[in-house]
Amino acid sequence: MQDKTITITIDEQGHSTLDLEGFAGRSCDRVFEDFRGGDRVKLERKKPAYYAGQQIQQEKSQR
Amino acid sequence: MSKYGVSITELKEEKYLVDALREMGYRPEVHPEAVPMNSYYAEQEAKQANIIIRRHELRGACGDVGFARRPDGRLTLIADELDAYHGYGAKWLGRVQQVYKEKQTLAMARARGYILKKREVIQTKEGQQVRLQFAVRR
Repeated sequence: MQDKTITITIDEQGHSTLDLEGFAGRSCDRVFEDFRGGDRVKLERKKPAYYAGQQIQQEKSQR
Repeated sequence: MSKYGVSITELKEEKYLVDALREMGYRPEVHPEAVPMNSYYAEQEAKQANIIIRRHELRGACGDVGFARRPDGRLTLIADELDAYHGYGAKWLGRVQQVYKEKQTLAMARARGYILKKREVIQTKEGQQVRLQFAVRR
């Protein structure tokens, strides 16, 4: 299983870039919100791994 | 990777703003109720702020520089227009936001059990970046 890591890069122009690896679905959103910390989101993109997690959860609930 | 985002740092928490200013070498005054700031021109309308750095601590500044609490909870920079040209404008504010965001992030991570794995300072054409890497406690 891929390790879950969070990388935040904070620049001198008042921006921070957040990169989450190894997360999927709701846990990904929760961690994103923790690190956003009330800041205004300028850009947000979900990666394929995010949806892969959702698909597994859906398959489990269909069984 | 599962999610990627860019956000703009909002100064909302007084504690981290004061800590950031102290780390930058200032001794900010903190006022629960906004108080007047000193400006270069006596005839200028007096500005008020909740967190104030006095002019004598600001090299080359014409007046005090401060942060005022807005009704939406944000703390916004208050400075003479002249001081934006004297080094206390957007660039200076960006540095304040950078130190603030690092302090806020480290405190949040400690409180919620994230593990700091690495801290790097990277030099880029646009200036210094601070990169923090965390892991999730299993």
